Amino acid sequence: MNSSRVQRAVEMACIVVISLVVAAGLVMLAGASPIGAFQMFLKGIFGNLNGFGEVFVKATPLILTGLGCSVAFRTGFFNIGAEGQFYMGALAAAWAALNLTGVPGPVRIVVAILAGFLFGGIWALAAALMKAKLGISEIIVTIMLNYIAVNILGIAVRTFLMDPAGSIPQSAKLDASVTLTRFLKPTRIHTGIFLALAAVLLIWFIMEKTSIGYEIKVVGFNQRAAVCNGISVVKNIIISAALSGGLAGIAGAVEVLGVQKKLLEGISGGCGYTAILITLLASNHPAGVLVTAILFAALSVGANSMQRQMGIPSAIVDFLIGMVVLLILSRELFRRKAGRREAK
Amino acid sequence: MPLLEMKHITKAFSGVYANEDVNLSVEQGEIHALLGENGAGKTTLMNILFGIYQADGGEILYQGEPVRFRSPKDAIGHGIGMVHQHFSLVKKMTVLDNIILGLGSNRAVLDRKAAAERIRQLAAKYGLSVEPEARVCDLSVGEQQRVEILKALYRNITLLILDEPTGVLTPQETEHFFEVLRKLKGEGHGIIIITHRLAEIMAISDRVTILRDGKSVKSLCTADTNPEELSAYMIGRPLSEKKQEHLGYSQETALALEQVCVGKKHGGKLALDHVSLTVHRGEILGVAGVEGNGQKELAEVITGIRKAADGTVAFYGEDAGRWSVKERFCKGISYISDDRHNDSLVMEMSVTDNVILRDYDRAPYSGNGILRDREIRRRAGSALEDYRIKTSGTSGIDTPVRLMSGGNQQKVILAREIFEQAKLIVASQPTRGLDIGATEFVHQMLVEEKRQGKSVVLISADLDEILTLSDRIAVMYEGRIIGILDRKDADIAHVGLLMGGITGREEQK
Repeated sequence: MNSSRVQRAVEMACIVVISLVVAAGLVMLAGASPIGAFQMFLKGIFGNLNGFGEVFVKATPLILTGLGCSVAFRTGFFNIGAEGQFYMGALAAAWAALNLTGVPGPVRIVVAILAGFLFGGIWALAAALMKAKLGISEIIVTIMLNYIAVNILGIAVRTFLMDPAGSIPQSAKLDASVTLTRFLKPTRIHTGIFLALAAVLLIWFIMEKTSIGYEIKVVGFNQRAAVCNGISVVKNIIISAALSGGLAGIAGAVEVLGVQKKLLEGISGGCGYTAILITLLASNHPAGVLVTAILFAALSVGANSMQRQMGIPSAIVDFLIGMVVLLILSRELFRRKAGRREAK
Repeated sequence: MPLLEMKHITKAFSGVYANEDVNLSVEQGEIHALLGENGAGKTTLMNILFGIYQADGGEILYQGEPVRFRSPKDAIGHGIGMVHQHFSLVKKMTVLDNIILGLGSNRAVLDRKAAAERIRQLAAKYGLSVEPEARVCDLSVGEQQRVEILKALYRNITLLILDEPTGVLTPQETEHFFEVLRKLKGEGHGIIIITHRLAEIMAISDRVTILRDGKSVKSLCTADTNPEELSAYMIGRPLSEKKQEHLGYSQETALALEQVCVGKKHGGKLALDHVSLTVHRGEILGVAGVEGNGQKELAEVITGIRKAADGTVAFYGEDAGRWSVKERFCKGISYISDDRHNDSLVMEMSVTDNVILRDYDRAPYSGNGILRDREIRRRAGSALEDYRIKTSGTSGIDTPVRLMSGGNQQKVILAREIFEQAKLIVASQPTRGLDIGATEFVHQMLVEEKRQGKSVVLISADLDEILTLSDRIAVMYEGRIIGILDRKDADIAHVGLLMGGITGREEQK
């Protein structure tokens, strides 16, 4: 027990050292001093309140989409579609916020977020039904649905949701009464972060303390045992998929209502895909998702500062993230293989 | 000089002998049957011959020369071919592609025409008619088997190993198949056929070698023996001395199956073929048979995991056919599966989570969809105590079952499946892989349940277990109940004959 924990720590240390060395190499390749770059990196995050707040602004959608993926992965439903579900959620929320003008602001916010949940959920449900009823791989279906969602949003901001006063493809600006409050000005940090934190608690509660969470876990670990003990595999895949898409949809809604205050293309910033990495690294655990999402957000904020101050491409950080994920995943594979050898 | 001689072959897996001092010799132009119960070591022996395993001791002489095969490719190179019970064909490819697969070519372009011609010649010579350009997935099981045999012949083999070749064939296909074997024999090929069907051994083989508990107990000329003698050698042990006091059972019907059919196995045959069966209150009904003759399907059709394609299942007078797995459990049908790692346990989850796998969604373990931790942990704690479950380490009820021994895993299942309201327990191979102590414990549990008026369907490959515990014994053969015997009238030889598919004793000549 203890030796395996030590071994884990050593492995993590190796990964950190490898990535730091590679990072230093890349920075030097870009013609800058690694130490200076690292200072700028930290300064971007901790140097002022704005940067620090930005970490949580960026973390909010990552937490929500990451949680979404974790719920789906728990039943073995490999949802690659958080991106598309995010878009559908953003679209539905923007429509509700812009058009339900008869409804008072705070109520409209709630309705917009619920609409985001609903549309994100439906988007994932479509894939779940195709898997459950027709046996089509959810990986392919969710990826394809991503393209469709991105383009539906593209059509929307050029037609029925286009700002009548403008000429670029985006919606009108939301009325101040339907945007999420920024409670720590001048940062952009908004009340959506509380929603994300509440979602972490709620998902943890569902997974650990309810019978539906128990069923989802059984189905994820061993479908055959689920069948033999009277637990429906189809039902649980559908529930977890819908919940997963709903969370990504909320992420989209929160991004519209809290950050952009309008609907525009490319609104997700790829966070539906980053969510998959976050979930993998967090081993599907809600608290792990929270921590990992904040780390990813900090990395991206720090990288932006590095780019602004020293002209070092922020792509270096994406490069590093990719490498770290590969290292961690291959470590898991290696450990599993070693375990199997021991078992024999 | 024999074609093949295997002398004193020994092979152990983690200290347990699968083969111990096994001898086998096969002549040219001979059909040699290999007979034995499950786990007698037939497959291990053939896997050693075919180069899949390496023997720990002993030697193999092939055409008089000592050989040692490192891989199946090696064995094939020496002229040994094997047709496995489950075919190794690429379903979407054609017959021709499958036959020449892996052979390579000494030319840059495959000469498919010449290959097809050679296949047609071989097929005509041995009566193995198949169309080389047909796709394997469009062929019947019998035709697929012909492809497997052609595949071996195409590689110029002189010794052919057939593992349970007739298991998937209809009687007509079997007859045709035997003709092919006779032609091969006429051409001087040696054939080893692994089977448990006594009638087929009598019909086709020249000699038979019987394995029991990893040892070769006897080699006989088929002409000088009879099914009774074969089955006696196969089972070979005296009846277990300790007899359970037999309490009898009530005449009330607990479970009644009427003409139950379950869908097709790989080939054309039904997995359960019009099975009718009654289990009484307080009765232990043993189900004997060589594995794979429909026992698993029988268990699953009773517990609701599989639905019957035809026929009725009644439980205490109610039509249970449409009940789900969960409903059946609530009505008192519980299940100890033979495949505990896949069917009964979630290995990654803790003892606690596995103990509540059946009733996590019912009071007192949950209310309004919320799990009640305290009740659940209390239940797991008492299961640990009542069943003397030992968890390795200090985590107790939080230990993942994957870290526990087989016997303790089985006790977790017992603790869950043997509960107050259980009325019928379907126990499939409940003591497989358990040590003597744990086996004894399981037996006591089952007898205790019977004493309390519960019924047990005990499916087991262990005849001792069946004969010791059962009130009545049903024998399954090819998806049918071939005979039901009362404990008083059952002797091991008779059960053995039934397991080999021989019903009337007058057939034995």
